[in-house]
Amino acid sequence: MHVYIYDSFLNQKKYNSLLSKIEIRITDLGLNGKIARLGLMKNIHQTIENEVKRGAKTIVVVGNDHIVNEAINIMAGKRIPLGVIPVDEGPNLISKNLGVGSIEKACDTLSARRIEKLDVIAINNYCLLSEASITTDGTVVEIDQNYSIEANVAGEIRIINMALKKEGLPECASFNPQDGVFELLIETKQKNKGFLLKLKNGQSIFPLKHLNLSNLKNYPIVVGGIKELPLPAEVRIIERGVSMIVGKDRMF
Amino acid sequence: MFNKEERVGNLREVETIIGPSVKVKGEFNGNGNIIVEGMFEGSLKTTNSLYIGDKASVTANMEAKEVTIGGVVIGNIKVQGHLEITSTAKISGDIESASLSIAKGAFLNGKCVMTKQAEGSQKIIK
Repeated sequence: MHVYIYDSFLNQKKYNSLLSKIEIRITDLGLNGKIARLGLMKNIHQTIENEVKRGAKTIVVVGNDHIVNEAINIMAGKRIPLGVIPVDEGPNLISKNLGVGSIEKACDTLSARRIEKLDVIAINNYCLLSEASITTDGTVVEIDQNYSIEANVAGEIRIINMALKKEGLPECASFNPQDGVFELLIETKQKNKGFLLKLKNGQSIFPLKHLNLSNLKNYPIVVGGIKELPLPAEVRIIERGVSMIVGKDRMF
Repeated sequence: MFNKEERVGNLREVETIIGPSVKVKGEFNGNGNIIVEGMFEGSLKTTNSLYIGDKASVTANMEAKEVTIGGVVIGNIKVQGHLEITSTAKISGDIESASLSIAKGAFLNGKCVMTKQAEGSQKIIK
């Protein structure tokens, strides 16, 4: 049975007609199932765990990247596939990368049921598919006690499994969620000497399976631009950690 | 002569880049091509090519299949194939390679041992 989980923002009246459209489409495709609406009294963690216990065969989240990130964290390590129907409020970059850019496409993708097992990054116990970032200020990266990496100037450290935006990323790295590694990308900005102060970007890249991250100033690591996780943290790749329903236009 | 971009471009499928303003300390063992534009301390080994940029500073013993050096290196360098030392390079340490080119203006302070190319190839096959 399919279980459709609607993000809490979809409880607003303005989404009623859109949700009806989705429900008609999935009924036409013979994919109708149970609908669970998130809200103050119902969180995503409990909902997914309960539905999995009750024998759900497919979990489908309806919403934006925020709910997709949360669902991936809960679904990591489970055999049941996760599908996505994107609704245009907030970013929908994960679904776009998975090849399900629109509602119509997403319903057709659920019908085709093309399942791919994708790697996930585990930051302590939190699992994610795309990327996390932290400032270089005070951050120390240690790799398997063999070597450490430090950035001497201001910038950002990004841990990327599946790149949501390819612009500005080094072409040499694949950022493929099926290659068994994540990329540690350090982007620094340096002021050039001269009467015009220009910012120059420097990029470092390391393909890794495991690292330890700490910050001397207690800055957290940020997942999906919203969620903050405390440091120190152990970061590792879990190969084929989540089953996702993907479209034929996926970007990996 | 090749310019810097052509030399870096020759390193197809770069696996690791240590960019400017980044310092790596410790024992680094890689399998892919490596570019160092920042600082490195410790030991650095790869079964593929290694490029040390002209702004890089490396204090390490290094081993690689092919090496190009344009920056400051303090340490011994062992190369299975060709070692290219560009005009901006400043090396304090012994070098060992099957073939060697040194550009005018480069600084090299250390012993230089040439190994047979065949030996290097056999090691790679193993």
